[in-house]
Order: sequence, then C-alpha cells, then structure tokens
Amino acid sequence: MYAAISPSDLPPPTSEPASREAPIARYRGGVLARFAARDGRTHLVDLRQTSPCRLAFPRPATGDPLTAVLVTTSGGLAGGDRLRVDIAAGAGTSVLVTGQAAEKVYRSLGPETRVRTTIAAGEGAWVEWMPQETILFDRARLRRRIELEVATGAKVLAAETVVLGRTASGERFSSGLLHDEWRVKRGGRLVWADALHLSDLLVEPLEQAAGFDGATAMATLMFVAEDAPARLEQARGVLDRVGTEHVRQGATVVGGLLLVRLLSRDAHRLREVLARVVGAFRAAFQGLPARAPAMWRI
Amino acid sequence: MTNEVSALLRLQTWLSPAFPTGGFSYSHGLEFAVEAGLVKDADTTARWVRTVLLFGAGRTDGILLAAAWRAETLPDRRAVVELGAALRGTAELAMESTQQGAAFLRAVRTGWSHPVLDEWMRAFDAEKIEPVLPVAVGLVCSINRIGLETVLPLYLQAFAASLVSAAVRLVPLGQSDGLHILAMLEPPVMAAARAAETASLADIGSATPMVDWASMKHETQYTRLFRS
Repeated sequence: MYAAISPSDLPPPTSEPASREAPIARYRGGVLARFAARDGRTHLVDLRQTSPCRLAFPRPATGDPLTAVLVTTSGGLAGGDRLRVDIAAGAGTSVLVTGQAAEKVYRSLGPETRVRTTIAAGEGAWVEWMPQETILFDRARLRRRIELEVATGAKVLAAETVVLGRTASGERFSSGLLHDEWRVKRGGRLVWADALHLSDLLVEPLEQAAGFDGATAMATLMFVAEDAPARLEQARGVLDRVGTEHVRQGATVVGGLLLVRLLSRDAHRLREVLARVVGAFRAAFQGLPARAPAMWRI
Repeated sequence: MTNEVSALLRLQTWLSPAFPTGGFSYSHGLEFAVEAGLVKDADTTARWVRTVLLFGAGRTDGILLAAAWRAETLPDRRAVVELGAALRGTAELAMESTQQGAAFLRAVRTGWSHPVLDEWMRAFDAEKIEPVLPVAVGLVCSINRIGLETVLPLYLQAFAASLVSAAVRLVPLGQSDGLHILAMLEPPVMAAARAAETASLADIGSATPMVDWASMKHETQYTRLFRS
C-alpha cells in the first residue's frame, strides 16, 4: 500500500530552546518533507526521516490531493522524546498530511515530551494538516508547538485534537503538563497565537465552568486563507447542521483566520463531529470530497 | 517611581473604572455564560472570575504585562506587542483588549505625556503593531518606574472588578453579593499576580476554552448589553 521511500538522516533540531531539566532524550526523530508542483502535479522532492517517525504515501482516496501519512513506529511518545515535523509545500502544490493512528503520550517521571511541527504553504498551495488525536495518559508531560507559515494566496486547513486521559477506560488526566502552542504567520508576520497551558494544578481548570467544564476532549480547527473571514457564516451553518448536544462548538474569525473549537466529555462523539465539519469545510472551501481523511476511519 | 505613594496615585487613576478605556462595555464572554446558565448566582460568578484570573486572561495578561514591563530593547518590546496582539482567542476578545489598549495609551499620553513613550509608539506605528491593554500598562509602568509587584495585583484586581460589575448587571446580583465576591477574590488576585511575576514567557498560556467558547457564542447572541 505504501510507496517505498528510503530514509535518510534528519539533522538534530537546532532551533529548539534548551530544556531546563536536560532530559535523557530517547528520540530526536522527525520527518522533513518538501513538495513542489511540476506539470500541474504535486511531487515529493525531498524526504528525510528518522526513527520513530516515518512518512508513508498511500494512494490518495479518489479526489484527494497527494496524501502523506505520518507514522510513529514506537507506538507512542515518552518523556524525553523529541520530535520534529517539518512539512514544506511549495507554490501551487496540494497536499494532505494525516496520521496513521492516534498519538499516545505516556506518563512521564519528569522529562517533557517535545514535539515541534512546522507547516509551510507556498503561494497558491492547498495544505491540509489532519493528524489524528493526541491522547495524553495521566501524568504525561507534553510540550508542543505547531507553526503555520502561510504565503499569499495559500490555503491551509488544520485540525488538532487532544484527549485528556485514556477516557475510554475511565482514566483522567489528573496531573502532568500540556503546553500546546499554535503560531500562525502570514507573509512572515505573526497573525495569531494560542497556547493551552495545563500544569500540575489541573483538576480545577478541567472541572470549572470557565475552564473545560468537565470536557476531556478538545479540537481546534482552523482555515487560513485570504477568503477565510468571508466563510464565517458558512462555517456557523455547518456547525449548526452537524452539532449534537454532547459537543460544544463555536466559530470566530480572529487574526484574519477562521477558527472553530469543539469541546466534549466524549472523545468519540467529538471525533465524529470534527470529521463532519472537516468534510464540509474541504468541500466548501476547496471543492474536495466531503469527508475526513480515510485514515480517521469514521 | 521611588515614592510608593506617588506610584499608587497614578495607578489608582489609570486603573480606575472612570479612566476612559471603555472597560465597562466588555464582559469577556460572561454575558453568554449567563445566557447559557453557566453563571447564575453569586457562587458561580465567583468561581467563573476566579478561574479566569488563575487560568485564563488573568494568567496570560499578567505574564504579558510583566514581559512588557521587563522588555529592555526595541526588538523585545516589539516581540511582546506582537505576541500580545496575536494571543487572542476570538474576534471579540481581540477587540476588547486592542481597543482598551489604544484608549489607555491615548489617555495616558494626553495627561502624562512622556518622550520615551512617544518614541516607542512611533516605532510601533511604523510597524503597524498595537499594544493590547496589559502590554500597554506594562510599558507605561516601566517608563514611569512603577514596580511590577505593585502594578500586577492592582491590574488584576481591576480586571476582576470589571467582570464582577458585569455580573452584577447581567445575573443580576445585589450590590452586597458583588462586594462579597470582590472580597473573596483577593487571594486569587494575589496568587495570579505572584504567578505572573515568576512565570516565564515560554509558559504563557491559558486553560479556559469555555471562555473562548462563550465569547464565540456571544457574537451571535440576540440581546446584548456588552461588546464582548
């Protein structure tokens, strides 16, 4: 099913801030992939990958753009792991990047798991960043940053979901760290930033009405494009249509991008709603098939 | 400002509800929280505001204020101004902070003009960046030599008081309920101020997605008294 891609070494990340507690790094893995448009088609022009990350290229589902599937071969991330994901989609390319499975972050005895993701979309490119949810085990410590660099005329549809605790087996995320940052740049300028910070004393914000109000799953979906502000009414219509009483949802336009948030006590229902919203958005905004990536198996 | 009383005098003016920043017209999402039944009495009001102070805008804006106060070079100041403006969860939360920041700076420059502030503002204007309220307060206090340990609790208390005042009108609550809540919020105000003073800019962030949700819903709320 997957195209054979020969792995090569990824240089160690150099621009990450020095860790304060100097964890014993289990992995300094990652993937770097560059795509370019030639003859009206998108081609992979550079791929570097190191364990535990691999990028696979299954045949795209009918009507979908070139599809890259991120695989974490270790099965999950532990304290001290550091990953770097760097996707550069050149001018005029169309790329869907998704994940093979939910990303599990295991309990840590102290060191943080660090993930840094950069998605660059060149002029006129269409990029979808659609990983599956990140599941934080109780006492996981994850520090993550995702940067979108969106050029003029480029469009990026990006979604991330965090699930706090292995909720299917009744586990709660009762202590640990989740520092989850977004940075969105357009034409080199920071237009939107966001940071979810849950640390140590996290039962209170998870339970309180102004915090998570008991929600254990949260999804952030954004559409960055010149025409994003004009899509707000359409987005609200989609949310009204696919919404359920079990999932809180809202949309806004901030920093020139369209932002949707979903919150639920039920990770499964949240995933179903997110899949419908993603499907509706990619159909409405780019004329793509109205469904979530096949990997999501909704 | 070495004389503590003269620092307090200025802060009392600048952070007063009467200072022309239009603070009374923003509810920071509280108006929809009341509509949705999440805030419905004195107890739920106190909890809502406490959570916002410790885990929401109280935390992020406190850290931003401290970072602006400490910024020593133009690139440092520019980075804090840029981050402060970008770190807004919704359209109305962005407007709330941007418009109050601009109004605060206009008023301070009218009554307490300072060549250094003028120079900084020219640099921001040239780059088309605008300080949001906590960043503006941090910059102005650093120029006026008002200590961080003084401004942080007073800024956060003023923020909490504006939310309580909104709740008194929206829930509605009696004046004595409002006063009980203000007294009850003193420890979280002090705790949020201490946290903001010691936190690093790398740890800036909030854990109040329900505030963002309420603010998103407020955009389409049918009857509204407040702009956010």
